[in-house]
Amino acid sequence: MFGLIGHSTSFADAKRKASILGFDHIAEGDLDVWCMAPPQLVENVEVKSAVGVSIEGSYIDSCFVPEMLSRFKTARRKVLNAMELAQKKGINITALGGFTSIIFENFNLLQHKQIRNTSLEWERFTTGNTHTAWVICRQLEINAPKVGIDIKKSSVAVVGATGDIGSAVCRWLTKKTGIGELLMVARQQEPLIALQKELNGGEIKTLNEALPLADIVVWVASMPKTMEIDISRLKRPCLMIDGGYPKNLDEKFKGNDIHILKGGIVKFFNDIGWNMMELAEMENPQREMFACFAEAMILEFEKCHTNFSWGRNNITLEKMEFIGAASEKHGFSAIGLDKHINPLPV
Amino acid sequence: MNKSFTNMQTLESNKKPNLEHQVDENSGNLPDFTTDAYKDAYSRINAIVIEGEQEAYDNYISIASLLPKDSEELTKLAKMELKHKRGFIACGKNLSVEADMVFAKEFFSKLHGNFQTALENENLTTCLLIQAILIEAFAISAYHVYIRVADPFAKKITQGVVNDEYLHLNYGEKWLKENLHTCKNELIAANKANLPLIKKMLDQVADDAAILSMDKEELMEEFMIAYQDALLEMGLDNREIARMAMAAIV
Repeated sequence: MFGLIGHSTSFADAKRKASILGFDHIAEGDLDVWCMAPPQLVENVEVKSAVGVSIEGSYIDSCFVPEMLSRFKTARRKVLNAMELAQKKGINITALGGFTSIIFENFNLLQHKQIRNTSLEWERFTTGNTHTAWVICRQLEINAPKVGIDIKKSSVAVVGATGDIGSAVCRWLTKKTGIGELLMVARQQEPLIALQKELNGGEIKTLNEALPLADIVVWVASMPKTMEIDISRLKRPCLMIDGGYPKNLDEKFKGNDIHILKGGIVKFFNDIGWNMMELAEMENPQREMFACFAEAMILEFEKCHTNFSWGRNNITLEKMEFIGAASEKHGFSAIGLDKHINPLPV
Repeated sequence: MNKSFTNMQTLESNKKPNLEHQVDENSGNLPDFTTDAYKDAYSRINAIVIEGEQEAYDNYISIASLLPKDSEELTKLAKMELKHKRGFIACGKNLSVEADMVFAKEFFSKLHGNFQTALENENLTTCLLIQAILIEAFAISAYHVYIRVADPFAKKITQGVVNDEYLHLNYGEKWLKENLHTCKNELIAANKANLPLIKKMLDQVADDAAILSMDKEELMEEFMIAYQDALLEMGLDNREIARMAMAAIV
């Protein structure tokens, strides 16, 4: 069994979803009601991979909504209770989707192992970040040439370079892709210097310095809504990979020859027959999903029951290669700029 | 299983749940158990718990009269409640607090009345729902929240109690599961009549609970989790459960 822990993109969306699923009483409740609502196992699904492996899985809605982010205790409870539910259901490997892995990491939930009479077994959970990082790198490698960017000569800015996904992307681009120049942007200087040392390369830049220099920008930190960017200073063509959560780059960068790609999203080779991704606002919800969710499915296909992606800065090239190869084998591909031409093999 | 990755970065996990070793998130932030405000609030909360355990004893003995074949098991469960009651009386003494039993009797009066009516009419399903499901889920959730903020003496006692209460909940779940085909309508009706009482009772003690550092939102969520689990265990589907459980919080 694989599990996916997700949440709605907004409170309004959550109410709409609850109504569709028949949870009328909660649908009518206000935010306080949602703060008290327990996690729900919303759907069970059976999936067969491209090489014929069949697995079963469940989608758990944590009943968290982004409006709860300012309520620290509520947010923490939502994530831990959803994890407890996944474990109680006997799910082998569950991915923490959307804000749930961010909350887990930022609120240091590792110290909350005991939930009521359940001792959380961390090896049953994954952030899915290894697969997300691999998918973002593949999206870059496949799509940059399509918009006329020569990867070997390109400058790539990674915004959020010191995060779990960001550092993995920097590692892969430096060692595997072979880009012209790596520009690393992050708020804290100390981890940036450590990463530069580890990679034996990469330029440390501020966002304002990096943007006019970059042919490709990988965003793995979400951009604050209030941030203003002068798009006339951007290079053309420019490929922007929106790997943050939530995805809001297309609101900011509208312009000729600026190509925005939703980062960290994969497409399965077949219709899955679930309802839950429609609720996650995917364009082709029967096939598309966040790469972090797909990681739980891949690990279950491979019977690799372990917290594959866990903690910060543990993503190695070896792990990315493993998850990438398994991803392709079982029928996943990274979504590209124009999904209507051909599904992009990865 | 891919061996090379199975052991990679996999953190140690305890297979056995162990409340004793629970990481106490609030250990640096416990309330002051010695203030007048704390003791005043505790006199009511402690009384509720003591009265609740006494009523649970009475109720299981009553249920045994409707279910003679389970009499032995029910008597055993009932006796545990008396043991819990003694434990909670000791918790009050330990803090030099006198439990406000008049308040507690009044607090339970409506639920008590509904149970007695059901008993007179031999509505076993309603009796079990009130005692073995609603009250037990209420107790389990409140105890879980309390354990996180209790004084060390009460914490230890409550940890022992909460594990017993699961046995009581299990008894109710098991009987209702086996008889769901004949008792579902009565169950839904009994839920509708009694679940809102639980919500009101919770509202009534919210201020006192807050003084004990027990958050109302957390109490309600814990209750919903325990209650939802019990209904699921009985074989109700997600929609039925949502409809039943959410009646309490909307």
